[in-house]
Amino acid sequence: MLNKEQQEKIFSSIGKELKKPMQVYAIGGTSMMLRGAKENTLDIDLVFLNSDDRKIFLEAVGNLGFKNENAIKVYGLKENVPLMVNVLEGRIDLFLEKIITSTFSDNMKKRANETHEFGTNLLIKPADLNDVLIMKSATSRAKDEDDIVSIINKSQINWDVILEEVQSQIKLGNQLAIIGLEEVLERIHNKKFAPVPKSVLDSLWVLLNKQINEKSGKEKKEHKLKSLTV
Amino acid sequence: MRISKYDKLAEALEGFNRVESLQDKLKINRQRAIFLMHKLRALGYVKTYYGANNKRIYYISKRNKERGISYTSVLNKYAPTAGIRILDNDNYFVHGRDITPEELMIYCLKQNSIRYVIASLILFRKIKDWSLLYKLAKKENAVNKIIALYEVARKSVRKIRKMPKRFYNLARKEKKFYYIVEPYSSRDFGEIEKKWRTYIPLNIADLTEYKEGV
Repeated sequence: MLNKEQQEKIFSSIGKELKKPMQVYAIGGTSMMLRGAKENTLDIDLVFLNSDDRKIFLEAVGNLGFKNENAIKVYGLKENVPLMVNVLEGRIDLFLEKIITSTFSDNMKKRANETHEFGTNLLIKPADLNDVLIMKSATSRAKDEDDIVSIINKSQINWDVILEEVQSQIKLGNQLAIIGLEEVLERIHNKKFAPVPKSVLDSLWVLLNKQINEKSGKEKKEHKLKSLTV
Repeated sequence: MRISKYDKLAEALEGFNRVESLQDKLKINRQRAIFLMHKLRALGYVKTYYGANNKRIYYISKRNKERGISYTSVLNKYAPTAGIRILDNDNYFVHGRDITPEELMIYCLKQNSIRYVIASLILFRKIKDWSLLYKLAKKENAVNKIIALYEVARKSVRKIRKMPKRFYNLARKEKKFYYIVEPYSSRDFGEIEKKWRTYIPLNIADLTEYKEGV
């Protein structure tokens, strides 16, 4: 576990070690900590927009004496796995635009409107908490559900943004975005852990049905085309 | 009380408070309430705002500590009167180092806001590293703007340090006039404007706070 002081120390020393200024996005627990919604995190998740920056960052972390970790051990053989480095009592995951199944979309970048400067060369933009909620719903870990509950309870969630973003995630190829979010929110609503408006759950249900119909329609069309060509 | 206890206290008192409300909530006397506020402020949990009649309102939040320091909060620290302070809506936070008055001066110029220009004048009292200020100003093509504002500050704010002559000598002789905040120019500082080819977005009346407070 990394607490706020440890996280700040790590970022500041990396910022001083970096050869050039760079901007990265923080997601997950790191974003929540920078936005004051969480006390500590297991791992620091950072999203880079280009591989050169990620390489330079990795070099700087290496110079500080931290060692790389094998991502397959943690994520298995999934796509878009991060490069990983072990630091103190935690880990830094370095993603490149895509986070396993989710994509750090242009709208997510726009909503990440805060900038935190560490050691002059490292600028970290924490993702908006609405987006953190969506990304956390894509995993099936119990601690992520706790984080979602804490986000809903502690900050002002804009449900319109969430419904909009979840649809754009589908367009970007994350087919499980709606079903993942719907499942988690339904559970939180039923167990009364946090207030989730009924209208949001209904809208998600409608979106899910739409997605299923579109997909089955496509499959039928493809099947028809195949049978015609045969 | 250990730091973790103050952490809990900050969480319990989250929101706007006054010394009196703190007394009520914690059932303590005024002296103890002021001491607790002082401790919480030292740990970074408190932001102070000023209400009617300059009464202090304290915003206690754990987020204040976590967010690092913003340029506007440092600028507000230097402000001599409440009227000069600016509402802190910054989205840029610095961790692990102090923001220097030289950096702050350039930040104020970049905001393109008259309020920031007014608040920045007091910074000339704090600037020690003139060469750093020159370097930063040159990068932003704002050397003449800095000199023009310095001359305004010399006229309206007391106890302003002398700018090294080298700074003046390094200023470029411009033909074109530049705006600090477009499209505003000055009725009262016309001479300075002509001399440094920079339109100053201030008149003497805008600087009365300095006359009263400093």
